[in-house]
Amino acid sequence: STGDSWGIFTFLCAALCNLPALPALNCSEELGAGQSIQQTYDLTRYLEHQLRTLAGTYLNYLGPPFNEPDFNPPRLARAERVPSATVDLDLWRGLTDNARLAANYRAYSRLLCYLRVLDGQVGTAELRHRLAHFCASLQGLVLSIGGVMSSLGYPLPAGPAAPPAPPGAPAAPNDFLKKMDDFWLLKELQTWLWRSAKDFNRLKKKVPPAVVTLRLEARGF
Amino acid sequence: YERVGADVTMKCGSMDWDAAVTWTVNGTDIDESHLNGSYLILKNVGLSQSGQYACYEGSSWHLKYQTFLRVGTPPKEPVLMCRSNNYPKGFYCSWHLPTPTYIPNTFNISVVHGTKDMVCEKDATPKNRCHIRYIQLFSTVKYKVTLTVTNPLGKNFTTLTFDEFAIVKPDPPESVVAKPVPNNPRRLEVSWQNPSSWPEPESFPLKFFLRYRPLILDQWQHVELSDGTSHTITDAYAGKEYIIQVAAKDNDIGTWSDWSVAVHATPWTEEPKHLTTEAQITETTSASTSSFMAPPTTKICDKGAVVGSGAVAVCWTAGLVVAAYSVLFI
Repeated sequence: STGDSWGIFTFLCAALCNLPALPALNCSEELGAGQSIQQTYDLTRYLEHQLRTLAGTYLNYLGPPFNEPDFNPPRLARAERVPSATVDLDLWRGLTDNARLAANYRAYSRLLCYLRVLDGQVGTAELRHRLAHFCASLQGLVLSIGGVMSSLGYPLPAGPAAPPAPPGAPAAPNDFLKKMDDFWLLKELQTWLWRSAKDFNRLKKKVPPAVVTLRLEARGF
Repeated sequence: YERVGADVTMKCGSMDWDAAVTWTVNGTDIDESHLNGSYLILKNVGLSQSGQYACYEGSSWHLKYQTFLRVGTPPKEPVLMCRSNNYPKGFYCSWHLPTPTYIPNTFNISVVHGTKDMVCEKDATPKNRCHIRYIQLFSTVKYKVTLTVTNPLGKNFTTLTFDEFAIVKPDPPESVVAKPVPNNPRRLEVSWQNPSSWPEPESFPLKFFLRYRPLILDQWQHVELSDGTSHTITDAYAGKEYIIQVAAKDNDIGTWSDWSVAVHATPWTEEPKHLTTEAQITETTSASTSSFMAPPTTKICDKGAVVGSGAVAVCWTAGLVVAAYSVLFI
Protein backbone atom coordinates (compact mmCIF):
# COMPACT_ATOMS: atom_id res chain seq x y z
CA SER A 1 0.00 0.00 0.00
CA THR A 2 1.13 3.58 -0.50
CA GLY A 3 1.32 4.19 3.24
CA ASP A 4 3.82 1.39 3.67
CA SER A 5 5.97 2.46 0.75
CA TRP A 6 5.99 6.03 2.00
CA GLY A 7 7.13 4.84 5.39
CA ILE A 8 9.92 2.86 3.80
CA PHE A 9 10.89 5.90 1.76
CA THR A 10 11.23 8.15 4.78
CA PHE A 11 13.07 5.49 6.75
CA LEU A 12 15.45 4.88 3.88
CA CYS A 13 16.20 8.55 3.58
CA ALA A 14 16.68 9.05 7.28
CA ALA A 15 19.13 6.19 7.36
CA LEU A 16 21.03 7.19 4.26
CA CYS A 17 21.05 10.85 5.11
CA ASN A 18 22.89 10.48 8.36
CA LEU A 19 25.96 9.18 6.59
CA PRO A 20 27.43 12.50 5.33
CA ALA A 21 27.16 14.11 8.74
CA LEU A 22 30.61 12.87 9.77
CA PRO A 23 32.92 15.86 10.05
CA ALA A 24 36.24 15.55 8.27
CA LEU A 25 38.41 17.25 10.85
CA ASN A 26 41.46 15.06 10.39
CA CYS A 27 41.77 15.82 6.71
CA SER A 28 41.41 19.55 7.06
CA GLU A 29 43.97 19.89 9.79
CA GLU A 30 46.69 18.78 7.45
CA LEU A 31 45.72 20.99 4.54
CA GLY A 32 45.59 24.74 4.66
CA ALA A 33 42.13 26.19 4.17
CA GLY A 34 43.30 27.65 0.87
CA GLN A 35 44.31 24.24 -0.41
CA SER A 36 41.05 22.66 0.73
CA ILE A 37 39.10 25.33 -1.11
CA GLN A 38 41.07 24.59 -4.23
CA GLN A 39 40.41 20.88 -3.83
CA THR A 40 36.73 21.47 -3.24
CA TYR A 41 36.63 23.64 -6.34
CA ASP A 42 38.33 20.91 -8.34
CA LEU A 43 35.83 18.39 -6.99
CA THR A 44 32.88 20.47 -8.18
CA ARG A 45 34.39 20.60 -11.65
CA TYR A 46 34.95 16.85 -11.64
CA LEU A 47 31.41 16.21 -10.47
CA GLU A 48 29.99 18.56 -13.07
CA HIS A 49 31.78 16.60 -15.72
CA GLN A 50 30.58 13.29 -14.30
CA LEU A 51 27.05 14.57 -14.07
CA ARG A 52 26.93 15.40 -17.74
CA THR A 53 27.39 11.74 -18.63
CA LEU A 54 25.15 10.52 -15.84
CA ALA A 55 22.34 12.94 -16.69
CA GLY A 56 22.53 12.01 -20.38
CA THR A 57 22.19 8.34 -19.58
CA TYR A 58 19.48 8.88 -17.02
CA LEU A 59 17.35 11.15 -19.17
CA ASN A 60 17.55 8.62 -22.00
CA TYR A 61 16.38 6.03 -19.52
CA LEU A 62 13.43 8.26 -18.65
CA GLY A 63 12.71 8.59 -22.34
CA PRO A 64 11.03 11.43 -24.24
CA PRO A 65 10.30 14.22 -23.64
CA PHE A 66 12.84 14.29 -20.78
CA ASN A 67 15.78 13.55 -23.02
CA GLU A 68 14.89 16.21 -25.58
CA PRO A 69 17.33 19.13 -25.52
CA ASP A 70 14.66 21.82 -25.69
CA PHE A 71 12.43 20.26 -23.04
CA ASN A 72 11.43 23.24 -20.96
CA PRO A 73 8.66 22.33 -18.51
CA PRO A 74 7.16 24.74 -16.02
CA ARG A 75 8.41 24.25 -12.53
CA LEU A 76 5.76 22.56 -10.46
CA ALA A 77 5.25 23.35 -6.82
CA ARG A 78 6.38 19.87 -5.81
CA ALA A 79 9.80 20.63 -7.32
CA GLU A 80 10.30 23.25 -4.63
CA ARG A 81 11.46 20.57 -2.22
CA VAL A 82 14.75 20.18 -4.10
CA PRO A 83 17.24 22.83 -2.94
CA SER A 84 17.60 25.42 -5.69
CA ALA A 85 20.83 27.20 -6.54
CA THR A 86 18.90 30.22 -7.80
CA VAL A 87 19.62 33.27 -5.71
CA ASP A 88 19.17 37.02 -5.90
CA LEU A 89 22.33 38.46 -7.48
CA ASP A 90 23.04 41.11 -4.86
CA LEU A 91 22.26 38.69 -2.07
CA TRP A 92 24.69 36.18 -3.52
CA ARG A 93 27.42 38.77 -3.78
CA GLY A 94 26.92 39.78 -0.17
CA LEU A 95 26.98 36.31 1.35
CA THR A 96 29.46 35.87 4.19
CA ASP A 97 31.97 33.07 3.77
CA ASN A 98 30.15 31.09 6.42
CA ALA A 99 26.76 31.53 4.77
CA ARG A 100 28.19 30.71 1.37
CA LEU A 101 29.79 27.50 2.57
CA ALA A 102 26.76 26.52 4.64
CA ALA A 103 24.42 26.95 1.67
CA ASN A 104 26.60 24.60 -0.37
CA TYR A 105 26.89 22.12 2.46
CA ARG A 106 23.16 21.98 3.06
CA ALA A 107 22.28 21.78 -0.60
CA TYR A 108 24.60 18.91 -1.44
CA SER A 109 23.66 16.99 1.68
CA ARG A 110 20.05 17.08 0.63
CA LEU A 111 20.75 16.45 -3.03
CA LEU A 112 22.85 13.45 -2.05
CA CYS A 113 19.96 12.15 -0.06
CA TYR A 114 17.58 12.42 -2.99
CA LEU A 115 20.07 10.80 -5.29
CA ARG A 116 20.54 7.86 -2.98
CA VAL A 117 16.82 7.23 -3.01
CA LEU A 118 16.93 7.37 -6.78
CA ASP A 119 19.72 4.86 -6.78
CA GLY A 120 17.55 2.39 -4.95
CA GLN A 121 14.75 2.65 -7.47
CA VAL A 122 16.51 2.77 -10.77
CA GLY A 123 16.12 -0.03 -13.30
CA THR A 124 19.29 -0.84 -15.20
CA ALA A 125 22.54 -2.12 -13.75
CA GLU A 126 24.57 0.42 -15.69
CA LEU A 127 22.59 3.29 -14.24
CA ARG A 128 22.84 1.89 -10.73
CA HIS A 129 26.59 1.64 -11.16
CA ARG A 130 26.91 5.20 -12.44
CA LEU A 131 24.64 6.58 -9.77
CA ALA A 132 26.53 4.77 -7.04
CA HIS A 133 29.81 6.17 -8.32
CA PHE A 134 28.37 9.66 -8.53
CA CYS A 135 26.91 9.46 -5.04
CA ALA A 136 30.29 8.43 -3.68
CA SER A 137 31.93 11.44 -5.35
CA LEU A 138 29.16 13.71 -4.13
CA GLN A 139 29.64 12.49 -0.61
CA GLY A 140 33.30 13.36 -1.01
CA LEU A 141 32.25 16.87 -1.93
CA VAL A 142 30.06 17.23 1.13
CA LEU A 143 32.91 16.06 3.32
CA SER A 144 35.30 18.40 1.57
CA ILE A 145 33.03 21.38 2.16
CA GLY A 146 32.65 20.31 5.77
CA GLY A 147 36.42 20.20 6.00
CA VAL A 148 36.79 23.73 4.70
CA MET A 149 34.19 24.98 7.16
CA SER A 150 35.91 23.30 10.08
CA SER A 151 39.32 24.59 9.10
CA LEU A 152 37.93 28.10 8.96
CA GLY A 153 36.31 27.65 12.33
CA TYR A 154 32.72 27.60 11.15
CA PRO A 155 30.22 25.21 12.71
CA LEU A 156 28.78 22.60 10.41
CA PRO A 157 25.09 23.17 9.64
CA ALA A 158 22.87 20.95 11.76
CA GLY A 159 22.63 17.53 10.06
CA PRO A 160 21.51 17.11 6.48
CA ALA A 161 17.99 17.86 7.65
CA ALA A 162 15.10 15.54 8.23
CA PRO A 163 14.01 13.28 5.41
CA PRO A 164 13.40 15.51 2.40
CA ALA A 165 9.62 15.33 2.54
CA PRO A 166 7.38 15.42 5.57
CA PRO A 167 5.52 12.13 5.89
CA GLY A 168 2.26 13.81 4.97
CA ALA A 169 3.40 14.98 1.53
CA PRO A 170 2.52 12.65 -1.33
CA ALA A 171 5.08 10.65 -3.17
CA ALA A 172 4.75 11.05 -6.92
CA PRO A 173 1.21 9.86 -7.64
CA ASN A 174 2.08 8.72 -11.10
CA ASP A 175 4.95 7.64 -13.27
CA PHE A 176 5.17 10.89 -15.26
CA LEU A 177 5.34 13.12 -12.19
CA LYS A 178 7.96 10.85 -10.70
CA LYS A 179 10.03 11.34 -13.84
CA MET A 180 9.51 15.10 -13.59
CA ASP A 181 10.87 14.97 -10.04
CA ASP A 182 13.95 13.16 -11.32
CA PHE A 183 14.35 15.68 -14.15
CA TRP A 184 14.33 18.66 -11.79
CA LEU A 185 16.64 16.92 -9.35
CA LEU A 186 19.27 16.50 -12.05
CA LYS A 187 18.77 20.04 -13.30
CA GLU A 188 19.17 21.58 -9.86
CA LEU A 189 22.18 19.40 -9.19
CA GLN A 190 23.81 20.60 -12.39
CA THR A 191 23.05 24.23 -11.59
CA TRP A 192 24.38 23.83 -8.06
CA LEU A 193 27.67 22.49 -9.41
CA TRP A 194 27.98 25.51 -11.72
CA ARG A 195 27.17 27.81 -8.84
CA SER A 196 29.61 26.10 -6.50
CA ALA A 197 32.45 26.68 -8.93
CA LYS A 198 31.68 30.39 -8.62
CA ASP A 199 31.18 30.21 -4.86
CA PHE A 200 34.55 28.58 -4.41
CA ASN A 201 36.24 31.03 -6.75
CA ARG A 202 35.10 33.81 -4.46
CA LEU A 203 36.20 31.92 -1.40
CA LYS A 204 39.62 31.28 -2.93
CA LYS A 205 40.21 35.01 -3.13
CA LYS A 206 38.86 35.74 0.29
CA VAL A 207 40.45 33.06 2.46
CA PRO A 208 42.15 35.08 5.18
CA PRO A 209 45.91 35.02 4.49
CA ALA A 210 46.55 34.49 8.19
CA VAL A 211 45.04 31.03 8.03
CA VAL A 212 47.14 30.07 5.03
CA THR A 213 50.43 31.37 6.43
CA LEU A 214 49.76 29.62 9.71
CA ARG A 215 49.59 26.35 7.86
CA LEU A 216 52.66 27.15 5.83
CA GLU A 217 54.68 27.98 8.94
CA ALA A 218 53.61 24.75 10.52
CA ARG A 219 55.03 22.93 7.53
CA GLY A 220 58.33 24.72 7.84
CA PHE A 221 58.14 26.86 4.68
CA TYR B 1 3.40 50.47 -49.71
CA GLU B 2 3.48 47.69 -52.19
CA ARG B 3 5.27 44.41 -52.54
CA VAL B 4 8.00 43.84 -55.06
CA GLY B 5 6.48 42.02 -58.00
CA ALA B 6 2.95 43.09 -57.32
CA ASP B 7 0.69 44.74 -59.89
CA VAL B 8 -0.35 48.20 -58.78
CA THR B 9 -3.36 50.09 -60.00
CA MET B 10 -3.63 53.77 -59.06
CA LYS B 11 -6.82 55.66 -59.41
CA CYS B 12 -6.76 59.34 -60.02
CA GLY B 13 -8.73 60.24 -56.93
CA SER B 14 -12.38 60.68 -57.69
CA MET B 15 -11.94 61.12 -61.42
CA ASP B 16 -13.99 58.94 -63.72
CA TRP B 17 -12.35 56.12 -65.55
CA ASP B 18 -12.67 57.81 -68.88
CA ALA B 19 -11.35 61.20 -67.75
CA ALA B 20 -8.33 62.64 -69.44
CA VAL B 21 -5.42 62.79 -67.01
CA THR B 22 -1.69 62.90 -66.92
CA TRP B 23 0.37 60.95 -64.45
CA THR B 24 3.82 61.89 -63.31
CA VAL B 25 6.39 60.14 -61.23
CA ASN B 26 8.85 62.37 -59.37
CA GLY B 27 7.83 65.18 -61.68
CA THR B 28 8.40 63.26 -64.91
CA ASP B 29 5.46 62.50 -67.18
CA ILE B 30 4.49 58.89 -67.52
CA ASP B 31 3.88 57.45 -70.95
CA GLU B 32 0.24 56.79 -71.87
CA SER B 33 0.95 53.11 -72.50
CA HIS B 34 0.86 52.61 -68.75
CA LEU B 35 -2.64 53.98 -68.51
CA ASN B 36 -5.88 52.15 -68.57
CA GLY B 37 -8.27 55.05 -68.96
CA SER B 38 -7.39 57.30 -66.06
CA TYR B 39 -5.92 54.48 -64.00
CA LEU B 40 -2.22 54.03 -63.81
CA ILE B 41 -1.19 50.41 -64.13
CA LEU B 42 2.20 49.31 -62.90
CA LYS B 43 2.88 45.67 -63.47
CA ASN B 44 5.43 43.70 -61.52
CA VAL B 45 6.71 46.69 -59.62
CA GLY B 46 10.37 46.88 -58.81
CA LEU B 47 12.32 48.87 -56.25
CA SER B 48 13.19 51.51 -58.82
CA GLN B 49 9.54 52.38 -59.19
CA SER B 50 9.31 53.84 -55.73
CA GLY B 51 8.57 57.51 -55.84
CA GLN B 52 6.13 60.33 -55.73
CA TYR B 53 3.22 59.70 -58.11
CA ALA B 54 0.83 62.49 -59.06
CA CYS B 55 -2.19 62.71 -61.26
CA TYR B 56 -3.24 65.92 -62.99
CA GLU B 57 -6.46 66.69 -64.80
CA GLY B 58 -5.77 66.83 -68.50
CA SER B 59 -6.40 70.40 -69.53
CA SER B 60 -6.50 72.39 -66.31
CA TRP B 61 -3.45 70.69 -64.84
CA HIS B 62 -5.14 70.53 -61.48
CA LEU B 63 -3.55 68.14 -59.09
CA LYS B 64 -6.19 65.52 -58.43
CA TYR B 65 -4.27 62.89 -56.55
CA GLN B 66 -0.87 62.31 -55.11
CA THR B 67 0.80 59.46 -53.30
CA PHE B 68 4.22 58.22 -52.42
CA LEU B 69 4.73 54.67 -53.53
CA ARG B 70 7.21 52.63 -51.52
CA VAL B 71 8.07 49.27 -52.99
CA GLY B 72 9.40 46.71 -50.56
CA THR B 73 9.01 43.24 -49.19
CA PRO B 74 7.42 41.83 -46.08
CA PRO B 75 10.06 40.84 -43.51
CA LYS B 76 11.72 37.46 -43.65
CA GLU B 77 12.38 35.62 -40.42
CA PRO B 78 14.78 37.83 -38.45
CA VAL B 79 18.12 36.61 -37.14
CA LEU B 80 18.36 36.86 -33.36
CA MET B 81 21.38 36.34 -31.15
CA CYS B 82 21.69 36.62 -27.38
CA ARG B 83 24.90 36.58 -25.46
CA SER B 84 26.30 37.33 -22.05
CA ASN B 85 29.68 39.00 -22.41
CA ASN B 86 29.42 40.64 -19.01
CA TYR B 87 28.45 37.75 -16.74
CA PRO B 88 27.04 37.95 -14.11
CA LYS B 89 25.62 41.39 -14.86
CA GLY B 90 23.24 40.29 -17.58
CA PHE B 91 23.05 39.67 -21.28
CA TYR B 92 22.25 41.40 -24.54
CA CYS B 93 20.35 40.39 -27.62
CA SER B 94 20.98 41.70 -31.08
CA TRP B 95 19.13 41.12 -34.30
CA HIS B 96 18.95 41.89 -37.94
CA LEU B 97 17.00 40.96 -41.03
CA PRO B 98 18.66 38.53 -43.40
CA THR B 99 17.50 40.53 -46.42
CA PRO B 100 16.51 44.19 -46.58
CA THR B 101 12.86 45.12 -46.96
CA TYR B 102 13.50 48.63 -48.32
CA ILE B 103 10.68 49.97 -46.19
CA PRO B 104 10.63 50.93 -42.51
CA ASN B 105 10.47 48.03 -40.01
CA THR B 106 9.66 48.03 -36.32
CA PHE B 107 11.13 45.47 -33.97
CA ASN B 108 9.51 44.32 -30.80
CA ILE B 109 11.38 42.13 -28.37
CA SER B 110 9.97 40.25 -25.41
CA VAL B 111 11.86 38.29 -22.79
CA VAL B 112 10.13 35.77 -20.57
CA HIS B 113 11.82 34.02 -17.68
CA GLY B 114 9.58 31.23 -16.47
CA THR B 115 6.41 33.10 -15.70
CA LYS B 116 8.01 36.53 -15.39
CA ASP B 117 8.15 39.09 -18.15
CA MET B 118 11.39 41.01 -18.27
CA VAL B 119 12.15 44.30 -19.95
CA CYS B 120 14.99 44.37 -22.44
CA GLU B 121 16.30 47.92 -22.52
CA LYS B 122 17.03 49.11 -26.01
CA ASP B 123 20.54 50.38 -26.60
CA ALA B 124 21.13 53.72 -28.26
CA THR B 125 24.04 52.29 -30.17
CA PRO B 126 24.22 50.03 -31.84
CA LYS B 127 20.59 49.97 -32.86
CA ASN B 128 18.88 46.61 -33.01
CA ARG B 129 20.27 45.67 -29.66
CA CYS B 130 18.88 45.55 -26.15
CA HIS B 131 20.21 44.45 -22.79
CA ILE B 132 18.85 42.83 -19.66
CA ARG B 133 20.17 42.86 -16.13
CA TYR B 134 20.07 39.66 -14.17
CA ILE B 135 18.06 39.86 -11.00
CA GLN B 136 18.60 36.24 -10.12
CA LEU B 137 21.65 34.16 -10.73
CA PHE B 138 22.08 30.40 -11.20
CA SER B 139 18.61 29.92 -12.55
CA THR B 140 17.34 26.53 -13.72
CA VAL B 141 14.52 28.14 -15.63
CA LYS B 142 15.22 28.99 -19.25
CA TYR B 143 14.90 32.41 -20.81
CA LYS B 144 12.67 32.75 -23.83
CA VAL B 145 13.28 35.69 -26.15
CA THR B 146 10.83 36.48 -28.93
CA LEU B 147 11.58 39.04 -31.60
CA THR B 148 8.77 40.28 -33.82
CA VAL B 149 9.42 42.42 -36.84
CA THR B 150 6.57 44.31 -38.49
CA ASN B 151 6.30 46.50 -41.55
CA PRO B 152 3.37 47.73 -43.63
CA LEU B 153 3.53 44.64 -45.80
CA GLY B 154 3.67 41.94 -43.16
CA LYS B 155 5.28 40.56 -40.06
CA ASN B 156 7.52 37.75 -38.94
CA PHE B 157 9.14 36.55 -35.76
CA THR B 158 11.71 34.24 -34.24
CA THR B 159 12.27 32.80 -30.76
CA LEU B 160 15.32 31.80 -28.79
CA THR B 161 15.21 29.68 -25.66
CA PHE B 162 18.30 29.24 -23.54
CA ASP B 163 19.77 28.61 -20.12
CA GLU B 164 21.62 31.34 -18.27
CA PHE B 165 24.91 29.44 -18.59
CA ALA B 166 24.65 28.56 -22.23
CA ILE B 167 24.98 32.10 -23.58
CA VAL B 168 28.05 33.15 -21.60
CA LYS B 169 30.70 34.19 -24.12
CA PRO B 170 33.26 36.86 -23.22
CA ASP B 171 34.64 39.42 -25.65
CA PRO B 172 38.12 38.62 -26.96
CA PRO B 173 41.13 39.59 -24.84
CA GLU B 174 42.40 43.13 -25.39
CA SER B 175 45.76 44.77 -25.89
CA VAL B 176 47.51 41.63 -27.06
CA VAL B 177 51.21 42.35 -27.29
CA ALA B 178 53.94 40.03 -28.49
CA LYS B 179 57.57 40.88 -28.02
CA PRO B 180 60.82 39.13 -28.76
CA VAL B 181 62.97 38.18 -25.80
CA PRO B 182 66.51 39.54 -25.99
CA ASN B 183 69.14 36.85 -26.41
CA ASN B 184 66.50 34.20 -26.94
CA PRO B 185 65.99 33.39 -30.62
CA ARG B 186 63.23 30.90 -29.91
CA ARG B 187 61.14 32.85 -27.51
CA LEU B 188 58.28 35.27 -27.79
CA GLU B 189 56.68 36.95 -24.83
CA VAL B 190 52.94 37.39 -25.22
CA SER B 191 50.79 39.41 -22.88
CA TRP B 192 47.18 40.58 -22.96
CA GLN B 193 44.41 41.95 -20.85
CA ASN B 194 40.99 40.76 -19.78
CA PRO B 195 38.26 42.14 -22.03
CA SER B 196 37.05 45.38 -20.52
CA SER B 197 33.43 44.26 -20.79
CA TRP B 198 34.01 41.42 -18.28
CA PRO B 199 33.02 43.06 -15.00
CA GLU B 200 34.40 40.79 -12.27
CA PRO B 201 37.47 38.83 -13.28
CA GLU B 202 38.41 38.18 -9.64
CA SER B 203 35.19 36.33 -8.82
CA PHE B 204 34.61 35.09 -12.34
CA PRO B 205 38.08 34.32 -13.60
CA LEU B 206 38.76 33.78 -17.26
CA LYS B 207 40.94 31.17 -18.81
CA PHE B 208 42.72 31.71 -22.09
CA PHE B 209 43.63 29.92 -25.26
CA LEU B 210 46.65 31.05 -27.19
CA ARG B 211 47.35 30.05 -30.76
CA TYR B 212 50.42 30.87 -32.80
CA ARG B 213 52.11 29.89 -36.03
CA PRO B 214 54.83 31.21 -38.27
CA LEU B 215 53.34 33.09 -41.21
CA ILE B 216 54.79 30.60 -43.62
CA LEU B 217 53.01 27.60 -42.08
CA ASP B 218 49.30 26.79 -41.92
CA GLN B 219 49.26 24.73 -38.77
CA TRP B 220 48.52 26.47 -35.49
CA GLN B 221 50.02 25.54 -32.19
CA HIS B 222 47.80 25.86 -29.15
CA VAL B 223 48.30 26.52 -25.49
CA GLU B 224 45.54 26.62 -22.91
CA LEU B 225 46.21 28.77 -19.88
CA SER B 226 44.11 28.66 -16.78
CA ASP B 227 45.93 31.47 -15.05
CA GLY B 228 47.53 34.76 -15.78
CA THR B 229 47.52 37.09 -18.73
CA SER B 230 50.91 36.35 -20.20
CA HIS B 231 52.80 33.46 -21.68
CA THR B 232 56.20 32.87 -23.15
CA ILE B 233 56.40 30.82 -26.30
CA THR B 234 59.61 28.82 -26.13
CA ASP B 235 59.52 26.81 -29.35
CA ALA B 236 59.36 29.50 -31.98
CA TYR B 237 61.34 28.96 -35.15
CA ALA B 238 64.20 31.37 -35.03
CA GLY B 239 63.94 34.36 -37.30
CA LYS B 240 60.42 33.61 -38.53
CA GLU B 241 57.61 36.08 -38.23
CA TYR B 242 54.77 34.76 -36.12
CA ILE B 243 51.09 35.47 -35.98
CA ILE B 244 49.54 35.16 -32.53
CA GLN B 245 45.97 35.28 -31.23
CA VAL B 246 44.31 34.81 -27.87
CA ALA B 247 40.77 33.81 -26.88
CA ALA B 248 39.04 33.88 -23.50
CA LYS B 249 36.42 31.81 -21.73
CA ASP B 250 34.87 31.83 -18.31
CA ASN B 251 36.73 29.23 -16.28
CA ASP B 252 33.68 27.05 -15.80
CA ILE B 253 30.75 27.93 -18.05
CA GLY B 254 29.84 29.10 -21.50
CA THR B 255 31.85 29.18 -24.70
CA TRP B 256 35.11 30.60 -26.00
CA SER B 257 35.28 34.16 -27.19
CA ASP B 258 36.18 35.02 -30.76
CA TRP B 259 39.90 35.26 -31.45
CA SER B 260 41.56 38.51 -30.54
CA VAL B 261 43.09 40.83 -33.08
CA ALA B 262 46.16 39.08 -34.47
CA VAL B 263 49.58 40.36 -33.53
CA HIS B 264 52.77 39.75 -35.38
CA ALA B 265 56.19 39.28 -33.89
CA THR B 266 59.52 37.85 -34.81
CA PRO B 267 61.80 36.27 -32.24
CA TRP B 268 65.03 38.03 -31.38
CA THR B 269 67.81 37.34 -33.81
CA GLU B 270 71.46 38.15 -33.60
CA GLU B 271 72.47 40.86 -36.01
CA PRO B 272 75.98 41.87 -36.86
CA LYS B 273 75.41 45.11 -35.01
CA HIS B 274 74.03 43.28 -32.01
CA LEU B 275 76.72 40.70 -32.23
CA THR B 276 79.43 43.31 -31.86
CA THR B 277 78.11 44.42 -28.50
CA GLU B 278 77.27 40.84 -27.52
CA ALA B 279 80.69 39.58 -28.40
CA GLN B 280 82.32 42.40 -26.51
CA ILE B 281 80.29 41.67 -23.44
CA THR B 282 80.48 37.90 -23.54
CA GLU B 283 83.89 37.25 -25.06
CA THR B 284 87.21 38.15 -23.64
CA THR B 285 88.80 38.25 -27.12
CA SER B 286 87.51 40.66 -29.73
CA ALA B 287 88.74 38.93 -32.88
CA SER B 288 86.48 38.91 -36.00
CA THR B 289 83.47 40.46 -34.32
CA SER B 290 82.53 42.39 -37.44
CA SER B 291 82.17 39.42 -39.82
CA PHE B 292 79.01 37.44 -40.70
CA MET B 293 76.78 35.43 -38.43
CA ALA B 294 78.40 32.03 -38.63
CA PRO B 295 82.01 32.62 -37.64
CA PRO B 296 81.33 34.61 -34.45
CA THR B 297 78.71 32.17 -33.22
CA THR B 298 80.86 29.15 -33.82
CA LYS B 299 83.63 31.07 -32.22
CA ILE B 300 81.55 31.47 -29.08
CA CYS B 301 80.96 27.74 -29.14
CA ASP B 302 84.63 26.98 -29.70
CA LYS B 303 85.62 29.24 -26.93
CA GLY B 304 83.61 27.09 -24.64
CA ALA B 305 81.81 28.45 -21.64
CA VAL B 306 80.58 31.98 -22.13
CA VAL B 307 77.70 32.49 -19.79
CA GLY B 308 78.38 29.55 -17.52
CA SER B 309 75.63 26.99 -17.78
CA GLY B 310 74.04 29.00 -20.53
CA ALA B 311 76.85 28.08 -22.86
CA VAL B 312 75.28 24.88 -24.06
CA ALA B 313 72.06 26.69 -24.73
CA VAL B 314 73.91 29.42 -26.60
CA CYS B 315 75.70 26.83 -28.69
CA TRP B 316 72.53 25.03 -29.48
CA THR B 317 70.55 28.13 -30.29
CA ALA B 318 73.43 29.49 -32.30
CA GLY B 319 73.54 26.26 -34.26
CA LEU B 320 69.83 26.58 -34.90
CA VAL B 321 70.24 30.14 -36.11
CA VAL B 322 72.91 28.95 -38.48
CA ALA B 323 70.65 26.15 -39.66
CA ALA B 324 67.74 28.52 -40.11
CA TYR B 325 69.78 30.97 -42.12
CA SER B 326 71.27 28.22 -44.22
CA VAL B 327 67.76 27.05 -45.01
CA LEU B 328 66.98 30.57 -46.17
CA PHE B 329 69.96 30.59 -48.44
CA ILE B 330 69.13 27.25 -50.09
